[in-house]
Amino acid sequence: MLTLFPFWYEIVASLSSSRAITSGEVFLWPIEFNTVAYRRLFDDGQLIMAMGNTIIVTIVGTLFNVIMTIMAAYPLSRKRLVGRNGLLLCITISMLFVAGLIPNFILIKSLGLMNSYWAIWLPGLISTYNMFVMKTFMEGLPEEIEESASIDGAGDLRILLQIYLPLCKPILAALSLFYAVGWWNSYFNVMLYITESTKLTVMVKLYQMISLVDSNLLNNMGGNEALEQVLLTPEALKAAAVVIVVTPILCIYPFLQKHFVKGVLIGSVKG
Amino acid sequence: MKGRLATAESQTGSHAVRNGLSRRPIWRRMLRDKYLYFMLVPVFCFYFLFKYVPIVGEIIAFKDYRFSDGVFGSSWVGFKHFQMIFASSDFWRILRNTLMLNLYSLVFGFPVPIILALLLNEVRRNWYKRIVQNMLYIPHFMSWAVLGSIVIAALSPSTGIVNLLLKKITGGESIYFMADSFWWPIAYTIAGIWREAGWGTILYLAAMASIDPQLYEAAKIDGAAKLRQIWHITLPGIRGTIAILLILRMGQMMDVGLEQTLVHQNNSVLDVADVISTYVYRVGLQNMSYSYTTAIGLFQSVIGVILVLGVNRLIRLFGERGLW
Repeated sequence: MLTLFPFWYEIVASLSSSRAITSGEVFLWPIEFNTVAYRRLFDDGQLIMAMGNTIIVTIVGTLFNVIMTIMAAYPLSRKRLVGRNGLLLCITISMLFVAGLIPNFILIKSLGLMNSYWAIWLPGLISTYNMFVMKTFMEGLPEEIEESASIDGAGDLRILLQIYLPLCKPILAALSLFYAVGWWNSYFNVMLYITESTKLTVMVKLYQMISLVDSNLLNNMGGNEALEQVLLTPEALKAAAVVIVVTPILCIYPFLQKHFVKGVLIGSVKG
Repeated sequence: MKGRLATAESQTGSHAVRNGLSRRPIWRRMLRDKYLYFMLVPVFCFYFLFKYVPIVGEIIAFKDYRFSDGVFGSSWVGFKHFQMIFASSDFWRILRNTLMLNLYSLVFGFPVPIILALLLNEVRRNWYKRIVQNMLYIPHFMSWAVLGSIVIAALSPSTGIVNLLLKKITGGESIYFMADSFWWPIAYTIAGIWREAGWGTILYLAAMASIDPQLYEAAKIDGAAKLRQIWHITLPGIRGTIAILLILRMGQMMDVGLEQTLVHQNNSVLDVADVISTYVYRVGLQNMSYSYTTAIGLFQSVIGVILVLGVNRLIRLFGERGLW
């Protein structure tokens, strides 16, 4: 209950009047029920537009991820592939040594990707960890399947598309979900590389609502009154924004949660 | 060439098809797998461009990087930036904060999923267990932008639910959790636990499920109570899992989550809340001192790698299976 109450409280707060929140009357149920906060967010249109951007980022990003992860995992799971160990070593090293923020930023800038979603899709094409999960899963499938198919005259592509992918459905579902949630929640990369306000995603908008205001004010006034003032003003509005952003995940959550768990467990087998 | 292949195949008999394949010359085997290599081309490009090129880019830590000159055109300055780092008081402050926040979440956060899993494991009603578990995972799927805004709202001195309750119970003044350098690390740690604790139980519960039930029955016959069973059977049973998760956790010792810190940070707590990653972000990108902050980042990742390798070794010395 403790983990969920904060979410419930946000819903309640988003439906209450600001006066009631400020005076501390709001607890379990909305006080002075109204939907002003939602109407203002919808009328404003910014958050809705950002929502659209987030959906695009999520769908396209996940699609890229899944295709690329398969393209990496399948060949690397074939033990007969010449040079396999060398490639795997290179990939493992890239997991251990990760370049810092600044070199990555310079790279994206030099590639001229600023202000384009490619700047966030391309560097995130494959999560090495997820790729290893998928590779391990494919290695776990009996080799005889592949052998009999190749005797029947199927090429590598055919074997992958018609035999392996259907068998990989559970793990594909789990990984797509991980990727999709990651894209939905991503805001730091967007903040770094996207500056045009019409291209921002929902999480960045939310982040701006909670933090930009307060750092500016604090700079000017310093101290606690400033913080106080920021937190006073758009309380119901912020709550409503949180609710809007969270709703899609909460809606699909009950259907998907078993896939998530499966994904983690398959991943841990490798451990 | 062909003749040799043929004799090889005939010698190995029924395994000829399988083994004979691997005895072909390398180029033939590569040619046979040409589609697999085609598939790997974009993958290879990805790793090269977005993983290795930035690592090479780290050399700007030893240069005075200027965008117009590029990474290779900028002039070498040796260890200048590293000397600057170790001489600056900023660096020791962010290093201390990084280690401190990490230590807090390690000491208080690491055991929580284990305890939760032990408790859940004792729950006999399956439906109840499953519901509780599912509820516990939820925060894991929320971004820090969402959780941060909830935490800030809940801890707000005037409207936050926590302060309202505190005032009702103790009748005292409200506490400025997010603007007080004493309370901020505590709030930070608890928020971190809130997000990840439930998620962490998955692996422990799976490890517990694989413990042989006969052990428990034997213990019961010997008269062991619940607590003794947990101590002597469950905990040793998940020792390997704990060890591996601990190694992984140690690898992040130098790295406090950028996203969480960023949303929780505000200027009144910078003396305790500024960590390496936020400092690199703020000073590096906003003040454009690229080389200096790259040097800090490089220092951070080198220590991080050393920590992982070191802890992995230590754990293997204690007889557990490490990561490799």
